[in-house]
Amino acid sequence: MIKSNLKIFFLIILISTSAFCQLDNLKWEKAELSYEKPDNFRHRDYSFVFDDTGDFLKKTIAYTYWFFISDVDGDNCPFRPSCSAFLVQSIEKTNIAQGMLAFFDRFTRDMNLYKGHNQYPRFKSSHYYDPPQNYTLNQGTIKYLPSAQIVEE
Amino acid sequence: MIKILVIFLLIPFCIYSQSKSINFHSPENKKKFADLLFCEGDYLRAVEEYESIRDVIKNDTIDIKIMYCYSEIGLFNESNNSLKRISSNSPFRWAGLHLRLKNKLIENPKGLRVFHDMPSPPDMSERRQKLILTSNLFDEEIIYEKEDFLYVFEKGEGQTISYFYDLKKNPPYKSPALAGFFSAVIPGSGKMYVGEWGDGITALLVTGLLAFLAYDNFKANHNTRAWIFTGLGSFFYAGNIYGSIASAQIFNARIDFEFRDGLNLFLQQKNYFMPEYDFCN
Repeated sequence: MIKSNLKIFFLIILISTSAFCQLDNLKWEKAELSYEKPDNFRHRDYSFVFDDTGDFLKKTIAYTYWFFISDVDGDNCPFRPSCSAFLVQSIEKTNIAQGMLAFFDRFTRDMNLYKGHNQYPRFKSSHYYDPPQNYTLNQGTIKYLPSAQIVEE
Repeated sequence: MIKILVIFLLIPFCIYSQSKSINFHSPENKKKFADLLFCEGDYLRAVEEYESIRDVIKNDTIDIKIMYCYSEIGLFNESNNSLKRISSNSPFRWAGLHLRLKNKLIENPKGLRVFHDMPSPPDMSERRQKLILTSNLFDEEIIYEKEDFLYVFEKGEGQTISYFYDLKKNPPYKSPALAGFFSAVIPGSGKMYVGEWGDGITALLVTGLLAFLAYDNFKANHNTRAWIFTGLGSFFYAGNIYGSIASAQIFNARIDFEFRDGLNLFLQQKNYFMPEYDFCN
């Protein structure tokens, strides 16, 4: 009795193993892995549709920066938002003049010779978090985060 | 052999099987489980268990624990509503009232002074005074003199409160206008004034280099290049003044943040001057 039960047990195991075995039409193949970092910065939207003069100026400045600096330099900005995104967001939050000044200040901080970026909180991707709302010269919009804090992207 | 093995496996199952005679969900067992969760600091699950037996076991210890649990998990309205269940004769009544003050302090530190003259036993009155006076440190302006502030605190905590008082009265802010002025006189010096030395030196070098290139090209009659460098240099110069002002503002925001954070930490360490009850031994 026990022997026959054991046979049934082994049969079940064998049947299930063969049922889920590797089939001809589904051969296991090596996975196509890529270790390249996604380069979203290369796929930019250069469409030149604008709503008003401010939008025209903003896009002109941003596209010029993308074309001559960002795309050539690669994804090397240590900050998030990146310098070009910071420029666009700064202009949106303030105006062309203030946005430009905030951008030149950011560009100087990006070039920091001593790489002293320890005062910024970090994203999980290890970029430094430096939002444009802290640079509108309005104390009320500043959202201070301690450098030890990890910011969700 | 197989029979023996099966028997050996079955016997312990029979011996240790769950007997129907034990009611694991009896109110007493639920209370024991809730007490365990409470002492483990798992307030979210503890309050769920306490709530399920609250109407069955009438006990003011359970009521104050429920109030405490809700307060700890940040449900302040539920915590305050639980105070209604603690009768005025209960020894936990004053602790409940103090817990309500703590909830109000976390929600809105400015609204605490209305409770200043509420009558209470001497020990609780002192605790409340401490909480109300400390809450004043969260206000925009301190209305008390330092002596009026410190008399209620013991020596050790008085020193800490004195430190926070001084920090509130004279915060080590940096003037945004001065930072901007410094950077206008010497590029980068505003950043250095705020403590960002790396950014300051970089700004000085970049602006200096562009100014030199502009000057040199003007001198050599390369006017186009000279104007390009002049334009770039001007933007970096103005951007640095702008950035120095912004950096001073961010520095001040950091001072405010660290003050509030430190004061909250102090209050948490002191358990908001709550009376201490040993519920877990």
